[in-house]
Amino acid sequence: MSEHEPAVHEGRRVLGVVPGTPPVGERKVPEDQDLVMVWPHLLVRHAVVAIATLLAVLVVSLLFDAPLRDLANPFETPNPEKAPWYFAALQELLSHFHPLVAGVLVPTAVIVGMAALPYLDRSLYTSPRFRKVAVWTFTLFLTIWFVLTIIGFAFRGPNWSWVWPWQEWHGEL
Amino acid sequence: MRRQSPFRESTIGRSIFRSTERETTRDRAAGHWASFLLHVYPVKVRRRELGFRYSWYLGVISAVLLISLVVSGVYLMFFYVPSPASAYGDIQSLHTDVAFGQFIRNTHRWAAHLMVIAVAAHAARVFYRGAYKPPREFNWVVGVVLLLLTLLLSFTGYLLPWDQLAYWAVTVGTSMADFVPIFGDVIRETLLGGTQVGSETLLRFYVLHVAVLPLLAFGVLMIHLWRWRKDSMLDIANDEEFVDE
Repeated sequence: MSEHEPAVHEGRRVLGVVPGTPPVGERKVPEDQDLVMVWPHLLVRHAVVAIATLLAVLVVSLLFDAPLRDLANPFETPNPEKAPWYFAALQELLSHFHPLVAGVLVPTAVIVGMAALPYLDRSLYTSPRFRKVAVWTFTLFLTIWFVLTIIGFAFRGPNWSWVWPWQEWHGEL
Repeated sequence: MRRQSPFRESTIGRSIFRSTERETTRDRAAGHWASFLLHVYPVKVRRRELGFRYSWYLGVISAVLLISLVVSGVYLMFFYVPSPASAYGDIQSLHTDVAFGQFIRNTHRWAAHLMVIAVAAHAARVFYRGAYKPPREFNWVVGVVLLLLTLLLSFTGYLLPWDQLAYWAVTVGTSMADFVPIFGDVIRETLLGGTQVGSETLLRFYVLHVAVLPLLAFGVLMIHLWRWRKDSMLDIANDEEFVDE
């Protein structure tokens, strides 16, 4: 080490060494609110997550082939006629309500409601304990949407009649 | 003292990396700041943001899936012509004649479905953490736009194989536009380029899928990440009582 290069210890230049314990006490235990460098702490984790995600896609792609049915034929309507799974909840709603409600009002309300959420819910609490109304409302919406999606995707057969997925399978990805 | 690589200390190396010393925390922060790839990230985050419990890493997962979709999608574009006369045959020969064609198509298909799930789950996780609260309200709205763009990207891609599944799923999906009062027909015919799904629709969905929507999604994603970095150093609320647990 040349005399022009300062000694470096734990990422800090050492100007001098004083014997004894530090005047501010022992080195403190890392806490949640402490700031840590993104490189390497966060980036290493993100790299692992990225590799795991790509591995999952790789495995699924090796196990299952993407579907390819017959050539599109405008004169041969399949029964049931299904929208992609993420619209299955809307399609299920369409079978129960007037199209203006299920096809226009509900999707518009969901989009506008989601976008407006932070401006409607003005409480500053982040813990679910202090946000019971918001958490319950959102959970209720999420549950209904999830159930409708599952029903529309897997429990509907010809003419949108109820079928049991273990007897007749009509879900398509 | 650990020496930097000679390349980093050369004139060219310095012009690229700017800060060559990476010994102290301050040096490393400067190096982080000067890096194009790293500038998406803040220099520091709070320790609690590192763990799985904080975000379930759903934002990263969505971004990784998006990038993998761009890569696999570009590969597929080399072998695909968006016209009813050739689209279906192109997919068939993708399966039989193209190196890794079936595999790349599989990854594109499954990653797309996974991305819809990941983005929706990301929104749900952000909700339960209360991470949309001030000062992050606007980034939540940007996220809602990204969720919609994800759905539109998936939906426009759904038509491209031009099989029965694609054709009728898009017929059902676009028929919902009919119910919009007054403008219903206009919206539907603008989307389809006609009264029913046909060659115009395929071309429109293709252009939306490979150019318009990806560019929009990446642009909005940049705003989302920029906002995230800006807000990351701020507390949701400085007051101790609002910080959970």
